[in-house]
Amino acid sequence: MKPYRAELMVCAGTGCVSNGAFQVKDALENEIKERGLENEVRVVTTGCNGFCGVGPLLVVHPDGIFYQLLTTKDIPYLVEEHFLKGRPVQRLMYTPPEDKLPVPKMSEIEFFKHQMLIALRNRGIIDPENIEEYIARDGYTGLAKALNGMTPEEIIQTVKDSKLRGRGGAGFQTGVKWELTRKAKEKTKYIVCNADEGDPGAYMDRSILESDPHSILEGMIIGARAIGAQQGFIYIRHEYPLAMKRLLIAIDQAKEYGLLGDNIFDTGFSFDIQVHRGAGAFVCGEETALLSALEGQRGEPRPRPPYPVEHGLSGYPTNINNVETWANIPVIISRGAKWYAEIGTENSKGTKVFSLVGKINNTGLVEVPMGIKLRDIIYGIGGGIPDGKKFKAVQTGGPSGGCIPDSLIDLPIDYESLKEAGSMMGSGGMVVMDEDTCMVDVARYFLTFTCDESCGKCSPCRDGTKYLLDILTRITEGKGNMEDLDLLEGLSKVVKETALCGLGQTAPNPILTTMKYFRDEYESHIKDKKCPAKVCRQLNIYTIDEERCVTEGHGCGVCMRECPEKAITGEKKKAHKINQEICVKCGACYDVCRFGAVIVE
Amino acid sequence: MINITLNGKKLSVEEGMTILQVAQQERIDIPTLCYHPLLEPYAACRMCVVEVKGDSKSELKTSCNTKVQEGMVIETDSERTLNARRLNIELLMARAPAAKVIQEMAAQMGIEKTPFPIENPEAKCILCGMCVRVCEDVVGAHVLTFEERGFERKVTTAFNMPSEKCIECGACAYFCPTEAIRVEDFRGREVLHSELTLGPTTAIRIPFMQSTPNVPFIDKDNCIHFKTDKCKLCEMVCEPEAINHDVEDTFKEIEVGSAVLATGYELLDCSNMPQYGYGRLDNVITSLEFEHLCHASGPTGGKILLKDGREPKGVAILHCIGSRDENYMKYCSRVCCMYAMKMAHLVHEKVDAEVYEFYIDIRAFGKGYEEFYNRMQKEGTHFIRGKAAEVTNAALIPEEENKLIVRAEDTTVNMIRRIPVDLVILCPAIVARKDSEKIMKLFGLCSTPDGFFKEQHPKLGPVSTDADGIFLAGACQGPKDIPDTVAQGAGAAGAVMSLGDEVAIEPIFSAIDEEICVGCKICIGVCPYDAISYVEDKKISSIEETLCKGCGACVAACPSGAADQNCFTNSQIEAEVSGALF
Amino acid sequence: MPKITPKDLARIREKSRQSTTLREGAGRAKVTVHMGTCGIAAGARDIMSALMKEVESRDVKDVLVTTSGCAGLCSREPMITVELLDQPPIKYVDLTKEKMQKIFEDHVMNGNIVNEYALAVGSERAH
Repeated sequence: MKPYRAELMVCAGTGCVSNGAFQVKDALENEIKERGLENEVRVVTTGCNGFCGVGPLLVVHPDGIFYQLLTTKDIPYLVEEHFLKGRPVQRLMYTPPEDKLPVPKMSEIEFFKHQMLIALRNRGIIDPENIEEYIARDGYTGLAKALNGMTPEEIIQTVKDSKLRGRGGAGFQTGVKWELTRKAKEKTKYIVCNADEGDPGAYMDRSILESDPHSILEGMIIGARAIGAQQGFIYIRHEYPLAMKRLLIAIDQAKEYGLLGDNIFDTGFSFDIQVHRGAGAFVCGEETALLSALEGQRGEPRPRPPYPVEHGLSGYPTNINNVETWANIPVIISRGAKWYAEIGTENSKGTKVFSLVGKINNTGLVEVPMGIKLRDIIYGIGGGIPDGKKFKAVQTGGPSGGCIPDSLIDLPIDYESLKEAGSMMGSGGMVVMDEDTCMVDVARYFLTFTCDESCGKCSPCRDGTKYLLDILTRITEGKGNMEDLDLLEGLSKVVKETALCGLGQTAPNPILTTMKYFRDEYESHIKDKKCPAKVCRQLNIYTIDEERCVTEGHGCGVCMRECPEKAITGEKKKAHKINQEICVKCGACYDVCRFGAVIVE
Repeated sequence: MINITLNGKKLSVEEGMTILQVAQQERIDIPTLCYHPLLEPYAACRMCVVEVKGDSKSELKTSCNTKVQEGMVIETDSERTLNARRLNIELLMARAPAAKVIQEMAAQMGIEKTPFPIENPEAKCILCGMCVRVCEDVVGAHVLTFEERGFERKVTTAFNMPSEKCIECGACAYFCPTEAIRVEDFRGREVLHSELTLGPTTAIRIPFMQSTPNVPFIDKDNCIHFKTDKCKLCEMVCEPEAINHDVEDTFKEIEVGSAVLATGYELLDCSNMPQYGYGRLDNVITSLEFEHLCHASGPTGGKILLKDGREPKGVAILHCIGSRDENYMKYCSRVCCMYAMKMAHLVHEKVDAEVYEFYIDIRAFGKGYEEFYNRMQKEGTHFIRGKAAEVTNAALIPEEENKLIVRAEDTTVNMIRRIPVDLVILCPAIVARKDSEKIMKLFGLCSTPDGFFKEQHPKLGPVSTDADGIFLAGACQGPKDIPDTVAQGAGAAGAVMSLGDEVAIEPIFSAIDEEICVGCKICIGVCPYDAISYVEDKKISSIEETLCKGCGACVAACPSGAADQNCFTNSQIEAEVSGALF
Repeated sequence: MPKITPKDLARIREKSRQSTTLREGAGRAKVTVHMGTCGIAAGARDIMSALMKEVESRDVKDVLVTTSGCAGLCSREPMITVELLDQPPIKYVDLTKEKMQKIFEDHVMNGNIVNEYALAVGSERAH
C-alpha cells in the first residue's frame, strides 16, 4: 500500500451528497492533480460523518482539521493554502454560534467532543466501499473470535451480559431474543436486519448503512452463528439507494473474502445474506408487517402471539433486529460484555444514536452514552436554539413518540425515563422545537403521518387515527369545543390500548403528551380561538402596521400582489390595508413583507 | 393442564387453548367480529379484547389469539375492557352504519349513536377480512383482496375487475358477518345440483333420502377442493376422519353368467316446450320437482310453497305433456294419470287450494285405480277434459293479475277456458334414457321404435331379450308403473335362476364351410350377436353355435358363399323356389 | 481472491496501518516540511518527494508526514521539523535530498539526532 502524507475524508453521506459533495470531491481531485500532489495527498469518500447540518464537509488527516459548507469555488484556495503550503484555511472551519473564533480540529468541536462512538465507530474514517479499510479498523475480528473461540451459547451469553437492548424502538433485550430464537424447535431459522427506517427526521440507520455497511454484515454473521440461522435478509427501504448500493458492494466483497457463503473461516458454518428492497410503507418497519412484505404479501402486521421468534418468516423462527443493534454486536464480541455494560445506566446500556433535527444549531447524528441529560444534547452537542429563541419541547421517538417539555430538560435519556415521560426511545429521532412551534399543530402533523401510513387492518388505528386527526384539525381551525378534548383523550387512550401493532399503539402519543404538558395551548385554541405560537393560520388575524408600511416599506405593494384573494388594498408610498372580510388567512402577506409591517395576532 | 383465573373463577384448562376458547367453553360471552373457528386468528376488529392482569401492570389483549398461560388472571368485562369495546363499536358504527350485527352489538352495550361522522349510511363492510381470508386461505381462489390503506382500505378484486378465478362458491358471502356481500343468482347459470333446482345444496351430501349406501359423497364437479386444491374444511371438522379427498373412482370387473337390465327412464325436458313456460315462468314445475317439494326432507320441509314463499290458492296439473302427442311422443306414459291424481290429493291435504286436472282421457286401469279416481272427484278436484294448450302470465282481466293462466279447450262443453292459478305442475312424458343406445350396443340388444329396449317377444318373452342371459325389468323396456315393474323384476329374477347348466340354442343357426372361407372377416362385422370369431391358425372365420341366433346376416354378406344356415341352406331355398316356379 | 482466514485479517490490518495511523493522528514520529513560498522556492518540494520516497521504500507505518507554512527563517530553507513521541521537536535547515535521507535513517528511524544539520533543539517557543 502506497503511503500518503495526508488523507482528505470527503463525507459522501446522503445529506452531503445532495448538497454537492461529489462535485466538491471531483474538484479536489482535479486540483490536487494540477498541483502535482496526487502521490502525497489522497481523497477518500466516507459514509455519513454525522454533522449533516454543515455539509458538504471534509476532514483532513493526520491533523484532524474539519472543513464545512464547502463549494467547488473554495477548492483551489484550500488546496494551495493547506495541502501545498500547510496553512489551514480558517474561513472554512466551523465557528460555534455566539463565538468568533473558528475551531480547527474536529475533535474539539462541541458537536463531536461529547459523543461516544460505538455504532458509528467508523463513520468518516473509512471508505465504506472498501472492505480492507474496515478490516484495518479491527473489522471482522469479532467474527473471528466468535467463530473460532466461542460456542453459540457463549455468544448469546455475551450479548445477554452486555444488556444490549433493541435499538429499533421497543428496547427488548437482544440476547434474550436471540436465545428464544435459538431455542425454537424448527431447524430452519432466519435472521433479518430491519433497515426500513421511516420516522420523519430520523436517519441513523441510513447513516450506518452508508458509512459502515460491513459492521452490519459482521453483526448479522455473528448473530446467525449464535442463533443457528442459515439465511439472513436485510429489508431496506427503497428511498435509500446509496445505502442499498454500498450494502450490495459490501456483501459482494464479504463473499469474495469468504466471510459470507459456505464454510466461513473453515468452521463448517455457512450463512448468506439477501437484500430485499421495501416499497415505501412505514408500517413495514413493524416486524410482523416486515415479514409479510418479505414473503411477498401485503405489508400488514399480524397478531402477536405467535411471535416471530417462534413463527416468523414463512412460519420459521425468525430473529429481527434493527440496523443499529446489529452494528453494536461486533464491538461487544471483540471488546467483551463487561466493557459494554459499563457504559450507560442501570437498565439501558451502551450508547444510542440520535438524529438531532429541528430548531437546533447543530443538526446531525449524535451517538451518546445512555443516561445523558437532555440538556447536554440540546445545549451541549446541539449548541442550543438558533436566533436566541426559547426552547419549548423536544419530540423523541418519531411519530410514535411524545413531546418532552422544557420542564423535563434534565431528564436522563434512557428507555425507562422516556417512557415515563410519555414518550419513547423509538428509533432515536429528536426533533427540537422552539417557542414558535404550536404543540397542537405538532400533534396534528404527526397524526397526519400515522393516519396516512396506517395499513387499515385494525379498526382503532384505521378509523381511530382518522377521527383523532379530524378532531385536531377542527381545533386548529378554531372549530373545536371543550367536549372535543374529552373525546380526543378518550379515543387516544383506547387506540393506544387496543390497536393491533406498534404503529397504532403509539400513534396517539404525540396527542397524549402534548395534552399532558401543553393543555393550555389546546384550551386557548378552543376557548379564545387563538394559537399562541401563531402557527395555526386559521386562528390568526393579519393586519398591517400602517406606520411601518409607509416609513419602512414605502408602501411597496408586494403583499397586495401576492394576496390570492385580493384582500389587500392600497397605493404606492401609502399604507396598505387588509380587508378582514375577504382575508382567508393564508399568511402570504406575512411571508413576503420584508419590513415586518404585517402583524399577526 | 394450566391454572388460570377467569372472571374470579379458578380454572384448570388445557395448554394451547386461547382465552376465547376457554371463555366459550365456560359460556362467557366475548363479542367477536373477525373471528371464525375455521380461520387463523386475525385480531383486526379488536372487539374480543380482555384485561389480562399482571403483577405490576394489566394489559388489554385480544382473546382470539392470546393463549392462556400459567397463573393468568383474566377479566372479560372489566370497565377498561368494556370502555375499549364501546369506543371500537362506535368507530365501526360510523364505518358500517347499516350492518345489522354492529347495530345489535351496539344496542347490547347501550349505545344508540356514534359520536363520529357517518360518511355512507348504506355501508355494511367492517373490513374484518373474513371474505378475503376465506377466499385466500380456505378456498384458495385468491380472488378477493384489500386495496388502499388506512381509512381508504376496501375489499375488492384485482384491478377492480370481475375475476376469472372466482369459482362462484359463495364462501365469502357465507362468512361475511354483516351481509355486506351478496351472491346474485343469474338465470341460466349452472346450478349446483343439475337434477333438482328447487333449493341450494352442498358439494358434499347424501344423494337422496333412501340412497344405498346411505352415506354422503363428494360432488367433484362442485367441490371447491377439486377447483382450487384447497379448502378441505369438511376434512377438518369430520371427527372420525372419514373424509379422504384423494380417493379415485375405481372400475371393478365382475364375471357373471347373466344380467338383468333395469336402467330406468328419463323425463322429457320441458324447457323445449315454450308454450308451457317451464324455465321461463316462476312456479311452473315438473311433477318430479313437486315430489321433491312435498318431501319432508325437501327444501321447504314438506310445505307446498310458491317461489316467493306464499301458499298457492290454485294449482293446475297438466297431463300428457309430451305423451300422446304427435309432435313429441306418440305413446301413453301410463303412470301420469294416477300420480297426477295423487298429487291433487296431496295438495288438498296440505293447502287450501283449488286443483284443476287437464286431461285427454283418464286411464285408471289398475287394481283399485278407478275407485281412487272416483274419490278424487268427490274430494273436489276439477277435472277438465282438454289438453292444456298454453301457460301464460299475460293477464286479460283483473282476476288474472299476478297469476299463471292455463288455456285449454274443454271438450265436454266445447269452449276455450282460461283458468288462473298460482302453481302449474307439468306431467312430462316418460322417455328412454339418452344413453340407452350405448347400453344396447354393449349387450347386443335392439330397441322398439319409441327407443325403449325390445323384449324377446311381446307376449311370450316379456322379460328376456334376443341376447342369451340378458333380461329386462322396469321402465327401460317401456313406461310402466311400480306394480308392473316389481312384477317384471321378479320375473327376470326367476328367469335368471332357472337358467341351469344347459343352454337352449336356436334350431336354425349358421355355419362356415372351412373349405370355402378365405378369412375376409366381413361376417364378423355384420354379426349383431358377436357369434363369429377369427381362427388365427387356420386363417378362417368360425361361428359359435350357442351364440348364433340364425339371423342370416352373415349368409347374406359372405362374398364367397362359405356361410350358410343349417336347415335353411341356399341350395334348399333355391330348390324350394324352383319347385314353386316349375 | 481466495477465502481468508483470521490470520489474513491481521495481515490486512498491518498492510493498512499507515493509513490508520494517519487518520487517528497518532504515530511514533511526525515530520513537518515547511512549505511557505520561501521554502518551495528553495526546493522544499524535492525534500518532500525524497521524504515520501523514504517512507515508501522502508515501508514504515508509523511516521506522519505533514506540511506547515514558513517558520520565519526564510534564509535557511528548505527546512523540516522532526518530532518523536515524548521528545522535543528538532529543526533541520539547509536541506538537500541526501541530508534528508540521513536524517530519516538516523533520527526518524533510530532516534539519533543528526547534530550537524540541526538548527536547534526545541521549537521557537521553546527558546
